[in-house]
Amino acid sequence: MNPPPERISMEELDLLCERRRSAGDPMPAYVGPLRRHVEEGDRRLLRLEYDASPAALRLWSFLLTEEERLHQARAAGAKIVGTMKDLGTVPVMAYALSNVVAFYPDGAWWTPCVMELSDGLFRIAQSLGFGEAFCPVRAMLGAFVNRAHFPIPDLLVCSVGAVCDDFSAIAQRVESLGHPILWWEMPHRRRPEPDEPAVELPGGFSAPASQVALVRAELERVRSALEALAGSPLGDAELAAGVAQANCVRRLLAELRRLAYTAEVCPMPALEMLIAEMLAIHFCSDRAESIRVLADLLEEVRRRVKEKVGIVAKDAARVFWVNPVADLRVMNLLEDCGGRLAGTEFLFSHALDLIPEDLPPMEALARMALADPMAGPSADRAARIERDARAFGAEAVLVSRIPGASHCALEGAVIGRTVRRTLAVPVVEIEVPPVADPIMPTLRSQLEALVETVMERRKR
Amino acid sequence: MIGAGIDAGSRALKVALFDSERGQVLAAAVRDQGTDHDGPARELFEELLRTEGLPRRRVARIVATGYGRRAVSCADTTVTEITCHAVGVRHCVPDAATIVEIGGQDSKLLRLNRDGTVRDFAMNDRCAAGTGRFLEVVASRLGAALDSLGDLARAAEAPAPISSMCVVFAETEIIGLLASGARREDIVAGVQASIASRVAAMLGRDVTSPVIFTGGVALVPGMAEALASALATPVRVCPEPQMTGALGAALIACRQASASA
Repeated sequence: MNPPPERISMEELDLLCERRRSAGDPMPAYVGPLRRHVEEGDRRLLRLEYDASPAALRLWSFLLTEEERLHQARAAGAKIVGTMKDLGTVPVMAYALSNVVAFYPDGAWWTPCVMELSDGLFRIAQSLGFGEAFCPVRAMLGAFVNRAHFPIPDLLVCSVGAVCDDFSAIAQRVESLGHPILWWEMPHRRRPEPDEPAVELPGGFSAPASQVALVRAELERVRSALEALAGSPLGDAELAAGVAQANCVRRLLAELRRLAYTAEVCPMPALEMLIAEMLAIHFCSDRAESIRVLADLLEEVRRRVKEKVGIVAKDAARVFWVNPVADLRVMNLLEDCGGRLAGTEFLFSHALDLIPEDLPPMEALARMALADPMAGPSADRAARIERDARAFGAEAVLVSRIPGASHCALEGAVIGRTVRRTLAVPVVEIEVPPVADPIMPTLRSQLEALVETVMERRKR
Repeated sequence: MIGAGIDAGSRALKVALFDSERGQVLAAAVRDQGTDHDGPARELFEELLRTEGLPRRRVARIVATGYGRRAVSCADTTVTEITCHAVGVRHCVPDAATIVEIGGQDSKLLRLNRDGTVRDFAMNDRCAAGTGRFLEVVASRLGAALDSLGDLARAAEAPAPISSMCVVFAETEIIGLLASGARREDIVAGVQASIASRVAAMLGRDVTSPVIFTGGVALVPGMAEALASALATPVRVCPEPQMTGALGAALIACRQASASA
């Protein structure tokens, strides 16, 4: 029998793990107590609260063992591809090859948080000219230098053009350190002119056919590089199978999001939802296992929704969250302050949409890549947020700025204007540094005030 | 029914007692804040009761607000300063539509609905620019008392340009200005304009009049004028601006006590 839904400490989650092990419950080999990661330096885990379920234990264990998995893959002779900046496209292609594993070096942006700055990655980045005026993703630079985290990939692929300026600069610095990068261009998505051939994209956008053709040609270059790396062809049949598997992940996430964000009682904490959604873009270095992890989580959520039980009070304020947070503890804070998630846009909503399976796979991938919310005008992103927030019944929108991130500088204002005008719900911006402890009281004030504002609105 | 509001701010501690039957503030007090919020808050509250000759049992409910609200152990509950300032200012200025609150450590902008409830808000809490802390740094650098800054600003001939939005860099600019012979009066006026422009940038184009200025910095002469200039709209200073958070908390205490009676 599963424990009742609640948030628990790491020690309590480890107890749950030990009880399951003692009871002989079948668990994948990577599932284990989180304290082993604390012993390796992941000190932030002691300060987080976790969902009290075997499914959450599996999710966390899966996430925290990614680096081990990558090292094991290398030892087993697999080729490793570092896919940078593009969110959710190249991994779909890479996993279509049997002996290739892809991961996001960008994910190192959470290392300073999880290790509470003891990792020294920011210091290395600073020494290379990337101080705190840059996005926390600069931690990736440190990880390439000290080689203490992910293995150095056999192939590095990075999108460039209409992507985050900080990231482009940081990736160029990575290349200057002797790590060659295959760059592929992402054009700034624009609306087609009236007399211009247009293509519908996932997510409700459209773009000129010429832009889709450009992205497709760029992805063909990536395909060639992957084939050369793997030493085997990457045909359309393999790609189509890869797209189908990626869509399997996306379907699971779509159902998980629908249930978690619309249920009367919130069935899953915000923190676990953030981690789960991230699987859409990187599969945590094991696509097949990510499907099983998400299926487990979905089953738990389904059970809770059916039983009408959850992790916060029924009347919790329904908050739509924009952008991922550098400090994971802030996701806990939402529930501490009387809120719950009612939708998210963590900068990769295109990676949650299904990739069209009725098109040639490279065409489908090009259309999906071009639907990236960061590749188009902020107004497009704002419109999508407004649409999703409405669909999930959000009562407020919280825009979480990433300090130093160039795309965050003005987007909040655009999103705020759109959402206020059309949904008439409060929109509040916060800024979350990688370790937010010193400003936790003020973040709490802002979240509590947002919840108070929602509660007052309900009385009107 | 008497409600008490305790505003444990970052720079000052404020307590207000409100009598809902008479519809008036019975008493209010303010004291500098140290590092401990709980002891001084309780002492100030009890001191106020003693001064007014009120037994503790006459206070139906205590609401704590402000940065240190969660540390105030004598409070029955906590409410954020965003909500409390909205309630407090609307009590003093019933037609307030936009509130600018500048305190010692942060600044807040509140947009209100017609009924006085908060529509939404913005908060600058990670940078000393746009807060009272900026004025403290300037006063210290110029060797002037904080309460003399208004008089200095009034005597300005041409506000000195302060280009940096960062207080640390701005302090360097001030040193440079002093070295180049700029008048202290012009520097103070320049700093006030800098704070006001920072706050105006937070508010953006969505400014609905009347704009009410509250918080401790509203007491500094010249700041309201600087803010009005930056917003290009008239700005009114709320009566007793330093007390609006505590007043709002006391009013909420009365409402909550009344609802549960």
